[in-house]
Formats: sequence, structure tokens, C-alpha cells
Amino acid sequence: MVWQKEDRFAYENFIEKHKVILVFFILLFICLSIRLFYLQIIKGNKYKAISEQQRLHNTNERAPRGIIYSSDNDVLVSNEFFYVALYYPPDGHKEISDETLKDLEIILGRDIKPKTDKNNKYGKVLKLADNLTKEEMFKVREQNMRLRGVSVAREPRRVYPLAEASCHVTGYTSEIKPEEIEDLSEQGYKPGDYIGRGGIEQAYDEYLQGKTGGWQVEVNARGYRVKASKYIPPEIGASIYSTINSKLQKVAYDALKNSDTGKGAAVVLDAKTGAVLSLVSCPGFDTNKIRHKEFSKFLKDKNLPLFNRALQALYPPGSIFKVVTFAAAVEVLNISPSEKVLCTGKFELGDRHYTCWYKPGHGWLDLIHATAQSCNIYFYQLGLKLGVKNLEKFSKKFYLGRKTGVDLPNEKSGFVPNPEWKKSKQKMKWLQGDTVIFSIGQGGLWITPLQMAHMMSSIANKGVCNKPYAVEKIIDVNGEELYRHKPEKEERIDLSDLTWSLLHTALLETIESGTGKRCKFKYIKVAGKTGTAQNPHGKDHAWFISYAPADNPEIVIAVIVEHGGGGGVNSVPIGRKIYEAYFNIGSETEDNKESAI
Amino acid sequence: MIEQDKSFFHRLVSNIDWYLVLAVAILIGISFTAIYSSGSNYGMSFRYLSVQFLAAGIGFVGLLLLTSFNYQYYKHLDKLVYALSFALLVSVLLFGSVKRGTKGWFDFGFISFQPVEIAKIMYILVLSSFLDAKAKESKRVSFLISAFAILFGHLVLIMMQPDFSSTLSYFPITLFLLYAIGVEPFYLLCIVIGGGLAIGIPLLETFFDMQLKIAQNETFLTNLALFLKSGNNVVYIISTVLVLIVSGWWFLWKLRIRIPIIYPVVLCGAIVLGCVSSIFVEKSLKDYQRRRLVVFLDPQVDPRGSGYNIIQSKIAIGSGKFTGKGLKKGTQTQLGFLPEQHTDFIFSVIGEEGGWVIAQLTLIFYFLFIWRALVIAKESRDRYGSLVATGIATMFAFYAVINIGMVMGMMPVTGMPLLLLSYGGSSILSSLCAIGVLCSIHIRRHTY
Repeated sequence: MVWQKEDRFAYENFIEKHKVILVFFILLFICLSIRLFYLQIIKGNKYKAISEQQRLHNTNERAPRGIIYSSDNDVLVSNEFFYVALYYPPDGHKEISDETLKDLEIILGRDIKPKTDKNNKYGKVLKLADNLTKEEMFKVREQNMRLRGVSVAREPRRVYPLAEASCHVTGYTSEIKPEEIEDLSEQGYKPGDYIGRGGIEQAYDEYLQGKTGGWQVEVNARGYRVKASKYIPPEIGASIYSTINSKLQKVAYDALKNSDTGKGAAVVLDAKTGAVLSLVSCPGFDTNKIRHKEFSKFLKDKNLPLFNRALQALYPPGSIFKVVTFAAAVEVLNISPSEKVLCTGKFELGDRHYTCWYKPGHGWLDLIHATAQSCNIYFYQLGLKLGVKNLEKFSKKFYLGRKTGVDLPNEKSGFVPNPEWKKSKQKMKWLQGDTVIFSIGQGGLWITPLQMAHMMSSIANKGVCNKPYAVEKIIDVNGEELYRHKPEKEERIDLSDLTWSLLHTALLETIESGTGKRCKFKYIKVAGKTGTAQNPHGKDHAWFISYAPADNPEIVIAVIVEHGGGGGVNSVPIGRKIYEAYFNIGSETEDNKESAI
Repeated sequence: MIEQDKSFFHRLVSNIDWYLVLAVAILIGISFTAIYSSGSNYGMSFRYLSVQFLAAGIGFVGLLLLTSFNYQYYKHLDKLVYALSFALLVSVLLFGSVKRGTKGWFDFGFISFQPVEIAKIMYILVLSSFLDAKAKESKRVSFLISAFAILFGHLVLIMMQPDFSSTLSYFPITLFLLYAIGVEPFYLLCIVIGGGLAIGIPLLETFFDMQLKIAQNETFLTNLALFLKSGNNVVYIISTVLVLIVSGWWFLWKLRIRIPIIYPVVLCGAIVLGCVSSIFVEKSLKDYQRRRLVVFLDPQVDPRGSGYNIIQSKIAIGSGKFTGKGLKKGTQTQLGFLPEQHTDFIFSVIGEEGGWVIAQLTLIFYFLFIWRALVIAKESRDRYGSLVATGIATMFAFYAVINIGMVMGMMPVTGMPLLLLSYGGSSILSSLCAIGVLCSIHIRRHTY
């Protein structure tokens, strides 16, 4: 085929160009097809997800956390609800319009300053107003058409009926901080979630967290609601049944708070099971005020209310350590209980002088009375005879220098000194003087109040005891048991029966006639030991550890009043109040009974 | 008369390109379905469809008329056709009504007409006629100048509306026809480079200015903009390019690859000329004009727009996946996320609701249509027919590539519709008229 009127050459020339044009168009359409294939087949799922996401707006509703009960069927932590007005920007509108803002201001009758909530999953959400009442919430919902993009969400808030008294056991909750989210997101936490901090709230956070719910709404491009799809109700977290006895907790806290310095800690354990009946650190902080400005006051407070002294504070044990020296002496040295030693109030070793706390001296004392009177001179001599190796060995036997393993966070392990430590740390040789003060629980020996209570519960049971624990069982919203505590036996402290009976007699004598007289009851026999721990930071710490009833121990108590002075004067009365509450003795308890009814 | 009619219909049925008819029929069917679906969102389906039906009906009558009309008369009437196109474009400037900032519409109440759509086809007829007549002079410079003079006559009038997107299709049509008639591709390339530099440099500068204003953080673009804006960097880059061209040519010469000296000279001349004229273009364009040009070329620099259209269009197409969401079930379309869905973004509607299957089929049929147009060009009985058919094929192909490329995020957003598929009376009417011209060429291929 050739063009009319033209020569063949011109036509062939054109056909050549024509081919190039056709190939060029083929290439263009292949490019378009490749792009189409890429968008729809390769990236199809991604774009599908984006289209769903911009079509559906999720109004998240935070789930309330689980409730924490005390062992006496009281509520330690529960929830209350309040409403917040939020602005979910419809697509293409990043900022809320002034009209909408004005309308909302008229409805609520207050000034509104939008705050960005960067943590929402679906872009930026503005928090318009906090703490709405139910009526305000309904008003805002009614005006839905006018208030474009504004929605109301129900927010749960934690309530702590015992407030300060239980703060360190329960802990508190707060929003995940930006710097934490990297680590926590691996565990399934999302920005904006609340997590427990301290106490049971932290330790059992995974159980307490509920399942977030909310509304799913189909919106069009202008942000108007087209269809309300589904509502998924948020699911409350599992309930925790703790071993804490709210009455003891309160009594112990009040007693500590009313002590001389108002600082200290108390731990009450069930002697048989190891359950933590109460764990108090004073001063505490009001866990209900976490969101308020007051919270920063707690952070700055010099008395460190956020510091859980019962688990985290390291104190020198002072004279209460004498029970360890006592046991070691009977076991290793076969000390006869009738052997007497003279206390003149002074003790000399080389060129150093050591004194007894009772300046005039106790005179001639046997083992039992030396313990009851907490004579330092007697125990210096025992310590020297035992040597540092034995003291260290027995300290570790009595679980010192390691964590008790209680199911509460941030426990400290304490420290038992030895010559190697002193050499490497202080670049000094271990001297006999170090052994001397070691024997009365001073000098490099650090323990926590919980460790003391734990040690005492094994003494009460002749070397047998359980690991302390604070949570008995966890039951989810469907009534299914998710967790039940299994008792864990501690390593048995293997001492002879003679040692145990002598130690028990000595501890009983301490309360009957010794330094712990203030805790003597008519019908219940209490065994215990007081301590006055010297410390470099000020007045002595007042210690009291004990258990009762002496013949069949039920509970164990460890009390410390920071800088409280003498243990017998300042700590023992607190222990007494706890016993009174536990055994329902005295006028106070009767009052409580009436009010309970 | 009756016999003549019979013979016409006989010739029509026996000689018409049925592939072309099939492709066009299917494309229009897809178009009506997509327009129906995208209009239902606003309750406008009926209105859109009735307008489109009416325009397509008129277009079909035009198609038949133009098919029966011997296209060879256009060659002889080229001055009249050119004058008519001028009259259309001038009268729309005088009497037309303004839509979206463009004075390019004749408003007839419920239907309005955009004369530039018809003028484009007239331009193809006139340019082909000129090229056919002066084919022997195709190596001369005066030939090129005359061809571009014809082009600029239209461009100036359309720019006065101002309707930039319609002018875009003039360039590929002109260049492809010049290429087909035998103009050295190298010179066409130099023209593209020179013209691109003349308009591109001022636009790029404006574009970078706006990028710098909206960019909050450092990106490649802002860094590049800062680099180009500081000092005489642009001058350095251009001189480097010139030196590279000259030294490259010299190097090849030494390697005994002999390229006539005219090539590097013309190339360098085009570059220098482009840069120099860019200064004049920059001065003659007012600031707001430049800005509008840039925003029109790339709405992503417009902070409020922020490329919203393109993003939504990509989501719409992508979310259709293999089989699509179903007619009237596309969430992007029906909930109004997709902008301009019945006009410029009609392909996104097809992609979302019809999925890959229908979208790819649409592409295939569109290509089938363009391929048939090129076959008609090949089989034409004279050069004039071949040139007209090539011009029409190029027009459809570029409209399709630019529009579909745009909705898939491969090209900047322009206001170019997808011919035969987008809603719009004028575009369907003129498209069918163009197809009428094609048919006219085809059924006369054996007539000597």
C-alpha cells in the first residue's frame, strides 16, 4: 500500500516513524499497567487498610483496671468514672473550627483550651474539656450535628479508699511516659495506656489491665457520621485478692504517723503462710491525688513519701541482730545458758573503747537476760569468740543480704559485710573491732524491714517459713481463676532444738521483763526483740521485731521508727497497737467493732 | 440521493473498523457506569447521566456526519478551518462565561460547551494540512518556524482564558506530527530542551520558593532549593553542562566517531537560548501567575491542598485490590473522600469499584482504541489522512497517559480529563467527532 500522489520512499519513511510512535505508546501503557498492578495488587492491602482507617473513626474508651480487695473483704482500689470531651479531627481538618469551639463553650459554660493528646492511635486528638458531669455529657451528645468531630468519652479513674495508708502496697497508676514506650511496646502497651507504678498495681499490671473498647463510626470525607457501626464495651481487668488486712494496715500506718518522727516502716506477716498482712511506709502519699498539682509536692518532699521504706530502705539492724549472734553462739560455741558475764558498761579492745547502751552496766548477766536487757558487752564477747566468718555465715542463714522474693516491685537485697568486701571497697583490713560491732548489728550490715519480719517468722517457726507474698488469687471478669498463690518454702534454718528453745525463751523474756515490756499482754504471750540502731545521719533508729502468740505464732511484726531513738520506747508501742488490732484487745478495738457493724 | 445514501451505509458497514467501534463502545459503557456510581454519592446520577447521554447523542450524530464527510476537503479548506477555530477561541474570550477561573465556556443553560475541545481537533486538521503541503521542505528551518507559528496562534488565545491544561496536549501533537513528517528528531529534542528551560527555570524557582515556605523540616527538595538559590550555582551548572557537551563531542571526534559539528552547536544554542529566554519569561510573568502555574502543576506545594487529591486517589485505586469493592460500594467514592470523582478522577472510581480486573481492562481497551487509530493512520490512502489519524491518536494517548498517570500519582495534577471516560459534554462530543474523522479516513482507504 502506498500513498496516493506520493512516492514510495515518503510512505516507507512514514511507516518507520509510525512504528516508533506505536512502540512508544505501547511502552507508556505498559508503564501505566505496571503502576496499576503495583497499586492494586502489591500495595492493595495497605491502601485497603488506609481507606478503612479514614472511613472508620474509633472513639476509644479506656477500660477500668481490675479491683484490688483486701483479705478482710475491704476494697483497697476501685474505680470511678468521669467524662472528657475530645475532638477527633475529621479527615482534612486538622484544627478545630472556632465556631465549634464557641458552641461547645456555650454548652459547657466554661473556657476551653484544647490540649493535644499525642498518644492517640488515630492521628492527633484534642482534649477539649476534662471532668464533665453526666448532664454535660448528654448535652454534648445531643448537639452532635453542630459539634463536628467532638465526641465524649468515659474515662475511668482509680480510687484508693485507704489513701496514704495503703499507698505503698497498692502503688498507683499513671500514663506511660514517652521515654518508656520503646521498652513497653514490646510487651503490648500502647502510648496513652496507664500502667501501674509501685506495689500491686505494678507487679500485677498485666492482670489489672482491662481491654479497651469504644465506638466505631463510619464518617464521610467531611467528618459527618454516616453510620454508627458497633460499640465494643471495654472490659474491666481481673480482680486481685490481696493478703493485706485493711484494718491492720490502717492501724499500723496511723501508729507510725503519730510516732515521734512520723517516719518509718512496719511489716506484718502471717507467721504460718508468709502472707503480708500489712506493709506500711510512713510518710505515705495520697494516691488519689496523683493527677493533681500536689503530686509534684510529694516528689520534692524531703521526707521522701514516695519511697517505700518497708522494701527499699536499708537500715542497720542494731540490737535486733543479736538474735543471729545468739543463735550462732549457742550452735557454735555451745554457750551454757547459766554462764554469766560481767557488764561494767565498758569494753576495751586494744586501744578502742566500746560501751554498753546502759552506761552504769548491767552487772552479771546470763545469756537469756543479756538478750532481754540487750546487753552489748555480752554480745561483743560472743562476737569476738565467734569471729566474722561465723557471723557472716549465720547472717546469710537467716536470709540476710538477699531479697525475700516478695511479689512486690523494687525490693532491695541489703548487705552482709565481710573482710574481703572491706578490703576491696575501703582498702582497709578487717579489724577485730569490726567483728565487735558486727555482733550487735552495726557497721556495714544493711537490712530492710521486710527482711527482719521474714527472719522473725522463720525464728517463730523454728527455722521453717514461707516466702512472703501479697497476692492470694486473681479472678477475671468471667469468674475464672487466673492465678493462685502457691506457698514456697524457704530454705530451712537447721539449728538444734536447744538453740530454738533458748532463743524463744530469751525473746519471751525480753517482752516479759526486758526492753520490750511495753508490749506485754495479759492473755497473749508475745516474743520479740528491740533494737536501737546507730546511724551516721542523726538520731538512732528504733527497731522492734516480734511474733505472737509465743507458743503458737500467728503473726510476725517488724517495726522501725526512723530516728526514733530507743526501740523499747518508740517502736514497741506501735507493735502493741498492731497486736491490739489483730487480737481485738483493748478499748480501741471495741470501738472499731462497733463502727464496723 | 437515496442510492448515494445506500452506498454510503453499505460502505460504512463493510469498511468501518469494528475493533475501533467495539473499543469505543466498551469505553463509553464503562464511562456511563462509573459516572452513575460516582454521582449517586451526591444524588446527581440522573443529572450527570442525562447530560452525558445528550452530549454523547449529539456526538454520535456528529460522528456519523463527519464519517460521511470526505476528510480530504479539510485539506483544501485548511484556511477556513483555521479561521473558524480562531473565531471560536476569540468569541469565547469575548462572550464566554467563567468557570473555575477560566473564561473558556459557552453557557447554554443546563449544558455548557468548551470550544477549546473542538479547536484542538481543528488544529490537528490544519497542522496536518500544512505539513502535507510543505512535506518536501521539512528539512528547512522556515518549515519549523511556520509550524510553530500555527501552534502559537492557538496557544496565545487559550492562554488568555487562561486554560493551561488544554495547551499541554498541543505540544505532543505538534512534536509527533513533525516527527512523523520527517523532521530530524534531534532538532525536536533541542526544541523540547530549549522550551523546557525557558518555562521550566522560572517555574522551578517559584516551586522551590514555595517548597521552602511550607517545608518544616529538611528534605532533599529543600536542600536542593537552598543549593540552587544560593549564589550563581545555576550559572555554574549550566556552564558545566555546556562544557561537558562540547568536550564530549571533541572526545568522540578524537575516537573517530564523527558527529557533524552542527549537532553540539544546535544543542548548546538551544540550552543557551532557553536560559536566556527564561529570564524574559520570568520578567513577563507576574508573581501570582507563576504561583498559579506551579500550584496547577503540583498542588502538593499548596499547603492546604497538601496533595490531598492525589493521596485520596491512590488510596481509592489501591484499596480496590483485585476484584474491587463493587458498584456503588467504593468507600472512597461514596463517602466523598475522592475529589472530582466524575470528571478528572473517574479512573480512580473505576479502580476502586471495579478493582484491578476492570481497571486493567479499561487500559487494554483504551490502548486497543489508540492502536486502531494508528492502524488507520498506516492504512490511509494519502499522507494527509495518515497525519490526521496520527495526530488524533497522539491526542488520545497523551490525554490518557497524563490523566491516568496523575490519578495513580505518577504525574503532577493537571486539569486534563480522561477523554471518552470523564464526565463532560464537550469532551465526549469532541472525542466522538475526532473518532468520526478517523472513520472518515478509514472507510475511504480503498477509494482511489
